[in-house]
Amino acid sequence: MFRNLRVRKQPAKIVPDDRSISVDQLSQDAGLPISLRQINELPNNAQKRIYRSLLPPALLARFQIDPITWKGPGGSQLVGLETDAGAGKTNISVSFAPGTQDDFIFIGLADNAFNGIELELLVLNDPDGKRFDTDRDPTGVATLFGTVRRNLAAEERAMQGGLAPAQIRRGLGGSKFVLDQLDTFMTALGHRAYFLEPLTYVSAWVFERRGFAYVRGHKLMDDIHRDFQPGGCLYSALDGSTPFRQQDQWRTVRGRAWAIHDGILEAIGARWDGLRMVKQVGRFAGVETFPKAVY
Amino acid sequence: MNKTISSQICRAAEFESLASFRELIDATCTGRAGLDENTVYDLKLAVDEACTNIITHGYAGKNPGSIILNMNVSENQIAITITDFGHQFEPVEGLAPDVQAGLEEDRLAGGFGLYFIYQTMDKVQYETTEDGNRLTLIKRLSVLEEEEQ
Repeated sequence: MFRNLRVRKQPAKIVPDDRSISVDQLSQDAGLPISLRQINELPNNAQKRIYRSLLPPALLARFQIDPITWKGPGGSQLVGLETDAGAGKTNISVSFAPGTQDDFIFIGLADNAFNGIELELLVLNDPDGKRFDTDRDPTGVATLFGTVRRNLAAEERAMQGGLAPAQIRRGLGGSKFVLDQLDTFMTALGHRAYFLEPLTYVSAWVFERRGFAYVRGHKLMDDIHRDFQPGGCLYSALDGSTPFRQQDQWRTVRGRAWAIHDGILEAIGARWDGLRMVKQVGRFAGVETFPKAVY
Repeated sequence: MNKTISSQICRAAEFESLASFRELIDATCTGRAGLDENTVYDLKLAVDEACTNIITHGYAGKNPGSIILNMNVSENQIAITITDFGHQFEPVEGLAPDVQAGLEEDRLAGGFGLYFIYQTMDKVQYETTEDGNRLTLIKRLSVLEEEEQ
């Protein structure tokens, strides 16, 4: 029986720091977690066998992409796998046709400092949707999802076109498929959870609906909801001073997201920064910081 | 047939959430055979203490994250699992707080949360894994009934 608890000075590592993993280690313990770095030390085809399980076959089938060969109807390779063993990073991209400008699916994973796994980027765009150039400023420089630069004219058109901040096309509507697949992938690797930092308010809301909880930022999300209610500080800051701060935006997830993207959180002395979410594999946390939300 | 009732909520790690946790305990326990007011009070006290620790220490220095409260009520026991994603803790052995010491004496502040939890629960488990810090509290209903006889 313990009498007390104290904060661990050094959080435990989820996977030992071994660069590679041996068949002996795998044979001895089927529950041993594996890092991306260890997978990426394997030969290319072995990596491909493992990472193939990240892409939902039904989603690929919608675009006539073979889930095993990753080739399209014309025989072209439409899925790209980029791994970086040293840094434990893996990117999977799917394009609609060879030579097309944008990937319509992008999954970026990376080992974190504790050898857990981060979902660094998830992009799901409908390739048939109209493109808005929010990813480039008027001089053509990348905006990095509007985080370091903004293309205000393109963003305004995107907002009017029904998009959320950081989107260049409307969503594919496949997040449930991909996140279910990620749960399976993590289980196969022996991980009980994975983590991410939501890029926008819309992302956080979507991940809440998919069963994520917050490592950091649950209270901020509660504060945002409360302050967007009539009479709240954020509601008052929807003063029409920019196209992204119109009065009725408090009513919808997307409206709030554009106002937050525009920096409205300054009104409550906060920033959209430092939020971190966790998905417990096989579990649904049940967070709902915007009850009865309208998208 | 041993029927188990499960319930769960997830709230931000802030003191305002404690009322929601107490409400869940009330809602899950109300009308259950073998559950008297004292048992429900004990459960609420233990959960209050555990969550206060998480709010005060677990998420110290962080923008508070989530606390997930999960309850499983069966014929023989109530199991409450409290999960958070704050700082990792490790159990340490040590002396129990001196509850006999007077307030005017140099009684060390703190350390009473776990004492109350141990006093009210039959089993207490703590584990830290990749998917969070998990405190499990077990209250055996059969033990209660025996004590009442």
